[in-house]
Amino acid sequence: MNSVPRRRGRLVSASLAVVTSLALVGCAGEEPSSTDGELTGTITFWHAYGADSKEIETLRNVIIPGFEAKHPGTDVQDVAVPYDQLHQKMITAAAGGDLPDVMRADIIWVPEAAKLGLLERLDTEMPDFAALAAKVFPGTLETNKYQDGYYGLPLDTNTRILMYNADALAAAGVSAPPATFDELRDLADKLTGKDIYAFADNGLSGWNVLPWIWSAGGDITDPTYTKATGYLNSPESVAGVTLLFDLFQASQMPNIVLGGTGGVPTSDGLATGKYATILDGPWMYPIFEASHPDFELQVGQVPAGPGGSVSVVGGEDVVVFRGSRNKALALEFTRYLLSEEAQLEFAKIGQMSVLRDLDVVSVNPTYRPFVEQLRTAKPRPPVPAWPKIDDLLQRRLQAAFRGEMSVQEALDAAAEEIDALLAQG
Amino acid sequence: MTAVPTVGAPAARAPGAPGRPGGGPPPRSLGPRPLRRIRWPYGSGRRPRARTLVAYAFLAPAFAMFLIVMLVPIGKAIQVSFYDWLPFPGAENTWVGLNNYQRALGDPQFRLSVVNAVVYMLVTVPGQIVLGLGVALLLQNRLPGRMVFRVLFYLPVVTSWVVVSLLFRYLFATDGGFINWVLVEGIGLVDEPVGWLDSRWTAIAALCVLGIWKGIGWTAIILLAGLTGVPRELHEAAAVDGAGYLRRVWHVTLPALRRTLVFVSVMLVIGSFNVFISVLLMTQGGPAGQTEVPLTYTYRQTFNFLEFGYGSAVAVLMTVVVLILSIGQMMLANRAERGE
Repeated sequence: MNSVPRRRGRLVSASLAVVTSLALVGCAGEEPSSTDGELTGTITFWHAYGADSKEIETLRNVIIPGFEAKHPGTDVQDVAVPYDQLHQKMITAAAGGDLPDVMRADIIWVPEAAKLGLLERLDTEMPDFAALAAKVFPGTLETNKYQDGYYGLPLDTNTRILMYNADALAAAGVSAPPATFDELRDLADKLTGKDIYAFADNGLSGWNVLPWIWSAGGDITDPTYTKATGYLNSPESVAGVTLLFDLFQASQMPNIVLGGTGGVPTSDGLATGKYATILDGPWMYPIFEASHPDFELQVGQVPAGPGGSVSVVGGEDVVVFRGSRNKALALEFTRYLLSEEAQLEFAKIGQMSVLRDLDVVSVNPTYRPFVEQLRTAKPRPPVPAWPKIDDLLQRRLQAAFRGEMSVQEALDAAAEEIDALLAQG
Repeated sequence: MTAVPTVGAPAARAPGAPGRPGGGPPPRSLGPRPLRRIRWPYGSGRRPRARTLVAYAFLAPAFAMFLIVMLVPIGKAIQVSFYDWLPFPGAENTWVGLNNYQRALGDPQFRLSVVNAVVYMLVTVPGQIVLGLGVALLLQNRLPGRMVFRVLFYLPVVTSWVVVSLLFRYLFATDGGFINWVLVEGIGLVDEPVGWLDSRWTAIAALCVLGIWKGIGWTAIILLAGLTGVPRELHEAAAVDGAGYLRRVWHVTLPALRRTLVFVSVMLVIGSFNVFISVLLMTQGGPAGQTEVPLTYTYRQTFNFLEFGYGSAVAVLMTVVVLILSIGQMMLANRAERGE
């Protein structure tokens, strides 16, 4: 019943309210830190840890108190924002000049935020940056790079591996998970007519299709992220997507891949035996435990193609905003989040460490297959235009899956459009 | 002022037509009657300046609010729509003239979103009016528990869009959704569950059902208020002349409700172009962007892709469309009235 102007008015008044409340929070951080290197005052830390998750418990009961104990007189105030809203909230807060001091950002947001000039450049701002950078996996560090600078430090990493339902495999007379493209096709044929989908995924964005493209020996761009034509539409890349396309055409993959919201989510489908295999990350263990306690999750590596078994890297970085009024404390908190002490605590509850020398598998044995998959996993292109690239890739591929064009045509068109976006830098 | 019939006039204008001066004569079918000026009730009219000042003083708070939360943002949006704009302090914004508008007019995804909104309007506006009128006619009767029913029908209107959108997403889920359970297990109409939210038109159908269900109560309450303004003697006269119930509804009730119906339809058309939360939560514009509507498209362009200039241009275009539609509707209604 809203008129157009009222709707917009609401948005504005809502953002005004947000901005005002943030301004009040921000005021707490204005106390100047003393000049002799002594750390005092307050910083605000935004993150997207779930409301009742173990992560947030650890953050509030262990990590932040641990930091404050080391630096008496300091105060870290954390603000939990749902993941879906964090990116938008960052933009709105930037417009109002009310960003927090530190944020845990999805790795795909960092180059964009750096391009917008929101982030502190850490490799020039932190004298010990090189030492910190040397401690983490190089692939995770790369996600913080924009042009020649580093605008964040990795906080946690993850990747997608194959998860399967042993009962569903047994229905096909198969005991081991599909290790190759051919075995996946074979499994799908054996499951035909059994009311079980061989594989399920909920979209065709980079996160979804890149493991198949890379494993097929293809790529999305050249190694320097300047060109997609010749890579995204190469025969190898097309072959990787065609694997999924064929499964979908043969009704061996459910149509949630088109982005419809009515179907069974991948995790529910896997646990209830409707889907034989999915790709997913380490956070699924506590989720299955809570929602399907009787389900015994089995895992394997991403089925290998001509290019090997190559998955996609996910994770989060810590960034410090340029507008921070207590930069010294913000940087020190960033250091602390990368310390062995903090990384170990997070590793216990499902957040994989980025530290090369930390033995996360002994802390949490379920990490073993992820650590193995991470050896070959690749990051999505760390370019500012990634959100747009990701969207147009998904739209083009969904058009192909809906039968409006061939996979080759879809990837040709996407590559051309991505070239234009990459050229803008 | 004695010419204005007391029956029903205040009720007809109170909720039905807030912007209409003086309530006016309710049913034009009673015969043509010149509009009269309403006398200011708080004074003799000897001090017009003071009178005006008092009126402005009363208007000021509402107008200030209107200015701050509506006019200023609208003006800002129009300005932004001519730029390649980033809303950050110190951002360099380049003037691009009509580029954003050109891009919108040639954008197939935007066109698709407008088509979806038009379809949504063509289904939900008549749907809400017809069903709302039916409910209003039923609730007009002196049935036991009338208040309970009025409250029940109004409940969806005051319930949060977020809550009902998530509820409907569950109702229309492919596997385990209530609608499919009824269709397959309950009455056996179809063998396989329908993928309601998995293709464009079935998903839009589901969105329309939600839009109509949520709007019936509002339409019914407004029409109910209008119904109290229909003179009872006309109904009685028509009944004496041998008109059945349906003929009386058609020839007596509907003409008397004309102004209320125009108001309701204008508001509903505006509302239908603003469908947003239900789409965002039920389908997320999917599958593959097929159920995108102008507001979800604007939202995505602006906040996901930081295309503030382009998003504003789309929003301005939609404002113009809604404005033209509303003015056109009112002009048509006025002409029809004059033509009688």
